[in-house]
Amino acid sequence: MNNNLFTKELKRNRKNLTIWSTITVGFTFMILSIYPFMQEMGQDLTVMMDKMPAELSKAMGMDSQTWSSILGFYSTYYGIYIIVLIGIFSTSTAATIISKEEKDGTSEFLLTKPLSRKSIFVSKLASLSILVLIIYLLQSIFAGIGMSLFNDMETDWSTLFVMHIHGLVLILFFSCIGVLISMFVKPKKNFMGMVVGIVFGSYFLDAIGKATEATNWISYISPFHYLSFSVNDPDFQVNYLSALVLLLIGAAMLVFSYTVYKKKDIGA
Amino acid sequence: MLAIETNNLSKFYGKHRGIENVSLSIDKGEVFGFIGPNGAGKSTTIRTILGLLIPSSGSAQIFGQDAQKEGAKVREKIGYLPSEVNYYDEMSSRELLEYHARFYPKSDLSKIEELATYFELDLEKKITDLSFGNKKKCAIIQAVLHQPELLILDEPTSGLDPLMQNRFFDLLDQENEKGTTIFFSSHILSEIQRMCDRAAIIRNGKIEAVEDIQALLEKQMKKARFVFQSIPENLQFPAGVQHEKWHQNKLTFDYVGPIADLIKWMAKLELADAVLEEPDLESIFMNYYER
Repeated sequence: MNNNLFTKELKRNRKNLTIWSTITVGFTFMILSIYPFMQEMGQDLTVMMDKMPAELSKAMGMDSQTWSSILGFYSTYYGIYIIVLIGIFSTSTAATIISKEEKDGTSEFLLTKPLSRKSIFVSKLASLSILVLIIYLLQSIFAGIGMSLFNDMETDWSTLFVMHIHGLVLILFFSCIGVLISMFVKPKKNFMGMVVGIVFGSYFLDAIGKATEATNWISYISPFHYLSFSVNDPDFQVNYLSALVLLLIGAAMLVFSYTVYKKKDIGA
Repeated sequence: MLAIETNNLSKFYGKHRGIENVSLSIDKGEVFGFIGPNGAGKSTTIRTILGLLIPSSGSAQIFGQDAQKEGAKVREKIGYLPSEVNYYDEMSSRELLEYHARFYPKSDLSKIEELATYFELDLEKKITDLSFGNKKKCAIIQAVLHQPELLILDEPTSGLDPLMQNRFFDLLDQENEKGTTIFFSSHILSEIQRMCDRAAIIRNGKIEAVEDIQALLEKQMKKARFVFQSIPENLQFPAGVQHEKWHQNKLTFDYVGPIADLIKWMAKLELADAVLEEPDLESIFMNYYER
């Protein structure tokens, strides 16, 4: 671990982090601030929800019950917007934090310094973790503040907590995928399309899978399936097994990425 | 102790050969040239020594330490000037040099200012706004800033104007006097001739020869130019004459052989003028390539 490199990476990504954090926090606040208006519509909304095709409401993970509380309302947006947004930021940062140096040719500068590849890899991942945790924590804190501001009932903090733990594991998992793909995709490529595809794609695979019995199997290939946000489920709690398995797979992807990076020819 | 020692260093990209069995021994304090045409494997050799490329076989030692296994320690002693400078666009030269310096315990930050003045480099300008030559100046400062024991220079003068080239050579002389070993890779022979004690000639990924520059220049070979009063008929050349060329009554050729034989031969001719001179490195070099 090299401090000089670690701090430089944080500085280098600070602008990007600020932009994405602002968007994510802004979105969180917007969603929560809409809730009081939705609540006023009350009965009408329930009627409307019941008229929706069952497949669609299942795919979106909502029914007339869901929107009866601010937590339920927030949970339907948490997956599709918040986690996808943070996921895209984390995965794209993960995909570029090492490969950007190769793309810009600066890897020659970095790798001729008195640093081992291990130290470079570890320092960069340490910066990445901090960046990901900052955006995640900022969003969580503002979600908490928003809940307190716009909820006229008692907030169920422990359920919110469970949902956000699931979110964190998913974000970390996607970040590991980002690091892994950067080892195999030519660094000259723009990763953004691929990253959006993977994160959004995972969400939609899960959504399609949920819609009908026949498509259930599809959701098994999506990490979203294993860490759900269905807060109205009476058994809703942290799925430790899934979290552990996803984190282990993530760690394995990092170890594998490192073995690739260690033996990689840089530039030419 | 040797500054650089490579043993049968090879690098293949799949079936494509980068370098093959490169063995070099460079003494501490030496200025060692590395000559070869573009694509001969100069940069590949350097990049393998620096640990950017993983060798297919063979090994490289820097001051007795393995360049792969102990790469981080080894690189602390090396200053590297790349042929193509790619730095962080968003940084200014000062930020880049300070960032560089923080990786080395021996760095002297006050030298940044001093060297920037010497090379007339504006430290506040962003890298992205620098011309090719100015980027090179920044890279030169970067290479010497941490007082390395070994300087590895890859095509160091490309992009520098003649004035800056001279200042750069003066700086190298000073560094060398302090005991710094210099590995100087170039395809410009006059530079090698000016700077180096010995040079390796690389071609198609293989070392063709390692020669003492002085010995190379003195190596028997002479360039001869004659002006004849009258062009002799059926002129017989002594053995060792090559590349003979007539231009009216003027004759030039290269001669490799005992000088006494040449003088005996000359004595029989009716000459208006005769010049015998040492060849420049260029012709010796071409001589290597033609073989």
